[in-house]
Amino acid sequence: MGDSPRLEIKFSVPSDPRYLCVVRGAVGTLAAVIGWEESDCRAIALAVDEALTNVIRHAYHNRTDCLIQLECRESADGLEIALLDNGDAPDRSKICARELGCDQPGGLGTHIIKQVMDNFSYEESPQGNRFVASKRLRKTQ
Amino acid sequence: MKISVRDVGEAKVVEVDGEVELGTSPALRRTLLETLLTAGKVALNLKAIRYIDSSGIATLVEVLNRSQHLQKEFVLFGLSPAVQEVFRLTHVVRIFRVFQTEEEALGDAQE
Repeated sequence: MGDSPRLEIKFSVPSDPRYLCVVRGAVGTLAAVIGWEESDCRAIALAVDEALTNVIRHAYHNRTDCLIQLECRESADGLEIALLDNGDAPDRSKICARELGCDQPGGLGTHIIKQVMDNFSYEESPQGNRFVASKRLRKTQ
Repeated sequence: MKISVRDVGEAKVVEVDGEVELGTSPALRRTLLETLLTAGKVALNLKAIRYIDSSGIATLVEVLNRSQHLQKEFVLFGLSPAVQEVFRLTHVVRIFRVFQTEEEALGDAQE
């Protein structure tokens, strides 16, 4: 017998903010099933929401008629998230360019992702821009 | 998301119920900036906010900056657990005046 099958969900999400709540609900529920506590589930859903928001705002410039592919996968030790879009590539000089606690608005989304997730990265490929993030479940005895 | 505004003495209290995110934060921004023009003090009740993202936080920071420019007061009260978590993640709590209750937030302005 091999490993037990693990849950994997794939969304094709329109780049319209009104769908963000649907994704948050699904990701938060998946995180709870994997084993995170309620506050962690909220934080993970927030991090995914921020990644989607970044795509809507910066890759698609608030156009609502584009698509974002979202994959959420239960891994051996936690959760993996991938987003794929066909918009403009992220400007790496602007990622986390503003300090946390700064009294100017904006620039906090990627800081939130960085604090919540264990790893994240941006990749560019012929298929589009790919954002990948993961978080390990630390089991307490 | 539902937003309402009421007068309390010389101040205005803005109540928000629901989720503040990319799609809804522009409405909150518009209401808060308009309310700032008509009151010396604006207190925002965050008790019924079930979710807030970085666009919501950016709105609050922008309104705070505008209030300072206009020499008016913008204060927060009743932070829900969801809001507290995001304030902690973004380290913005130190830049706002935050109170537990409406009475504390309004102080002399409610008389």
